[in-house]
Amino acid sequence: MFQASSILGYLPDYVAGALLTVELGLVSTGLGVLLGLVLALARRSRYRVLSWPTYAYIEFFRTTPPLVQIVWLYYGLPLLLGFDLGAFGAAAVALGLNIAAFLAEIFRAGIAGVDRTQWQAAQVLGLGFWDTLRFVILPQAVRNVLPPIGTTIIYLIKDTALASAIGTPELLRVGQLVANETFRPAEALTVVAVMYFVLTYPIALGFTAIERRLSAARA
Amino acid sequence: MTEPLIVVDGVVKRYAVETVLDRISLSVSAGQVMVVIGPSGSGKSTLLRCLARLEPIQRGHIFIGGALSAKGTEEPESDPRGNIVRGSSHDVGMVFQSYNLFPHLSVLDNVTLAPRRVLGMDRAEAEAMAIQLLKRVGLEDKQDVFPSRLSGGQQQRAAIARALAMTPRVMLFDEVTSALDPELVGEVLKTMRGLAEQGMTMLVVTHEMGFARDVADEVIFMDKGAIVEHSSPERIFDQPAEARTRAFLERLLEREGGKRRGA
Repeated sequence: MFQASSILGYLPDYVAGALLTVELGLVSTGLGVLLGLVLALARRSRYRVLSWPTYAYIEFFRTTPPLVQIVWLYYGLPLLLGFDLGAFGAAAVALGLNIAAFLAEIFRAGIAGVDRTQWQAAQVLGLGFWDTLRFVILPQAVRNVLPPIGTTIIYLIKDTALASAIGTPELLRVGQLVANETFRPAEALTVVAVMYFVLTYPIALGFTAIERRLSAARA
Repeated sequence: MTEPLIVVDGVVKRYAVETVLDRISLSVSAGQVMVVIGPSGSGKSTLLRCLARLEPIQRGHIFIGGALSAKGTEEPESDPRGNIVRGSSHDVGMVFQSYNLFPHLSVLDNVTLAPRRVLGMDRAEAEAMAIQLLKRVGLEDKQDVFPSRLSGGQQQRAAIARALAMTPRVMLFDEVTSALDPELVGEVLKTMRGLAEQGMTMLVVTHEMGFARDVADEVIFMDKGAIVEHSSPERIFDQPAEARTRAFLERLLEREGGKRRGA
């Protein structure tokens, strides 16, 4: 029988795990958005010294499993460089580097989707490259690609569960521990699923709301 | 005789092997309106784009206000704008056929963005100036509206205000009424006439021959990247010297079927 009551006592542990999941999500999203933007610009650069390494980076991080990337950073970095990020740090950085590759492609598509004439109009007005990017191109690029950005961030929140593999006590890890203690894996992990939903659904709603507001402003 | 405001000297522009501008030379004095006519593909829009520093040139020089603006170079470029002289790049205002307003910004923000970022105006100062300009183009009641809510004619007038906000010494108009519904052409031409009357130096690429005849001080007919005829509007429309000019004007009149439109 499905018995949720048997694990209700663990709720504070779940909440602590969820908070860590949120922290992981925030740190890696922040890193991913910033790095993704830089990569998107470098990828578009006419200088091959910039565009080629960026291409290699993006394809490498898109095509290898994020779990392996986390393990590399957690176990590999101390061995290679004598540099230990800790479990949380390794997971946050690895996920940030991973999502940056996906976001870079999304941003690139968004920037490419802005008509060339917008660059020209800005240029004739005397706006420099960075001002044009910041005030003319990116605002339009981002609204072109809001739905895939939202989806990518939701994926990332769920991918933070991979940090459990290196012992970060985030939400999934808490669920696993509770399952082991109570011998009730179905219930323990169902609570995990509900909590992921509670974390991610507002993101989906938020992105939809932003989209609706922006398109209302434009119509 | 004062020095001309614009000097184009032997400009050659090529895309790959195709020569789009073939040794173009002309000069425009301050306060003059020069209208450029010619068939599509004649290079007239490219000429404006070179003046606006949107395109590099392979040979020749362009001077604006006595200062070198662009210098031809044959070198293959890694930077597509490599030979364009930088600095004071806002002395030339340009209005495009497709308006090219910033769709995510209100009309007011479209006008104030460059003055604030490039000229360093504060918001209040820039907005006061923008509101004056919007009055001048008849859009004072549209300042908070987004471009997509405006008619084509209104968008084009907003684009003119946006260009004027940088107080350019020269205004370039690249077929600015070609994308408009016929009934909206007049309002844009009227705005341009107003500018001309106020002494703005203008280079206008257009198919509006009525406008050219009334407003232009000089008319240039271009074909296949070269200036075929350069004359007064009266001469070029009534007694064109060149057979190609005559043929072009006849085709244009035929197409318009005799009915004149616009202001």
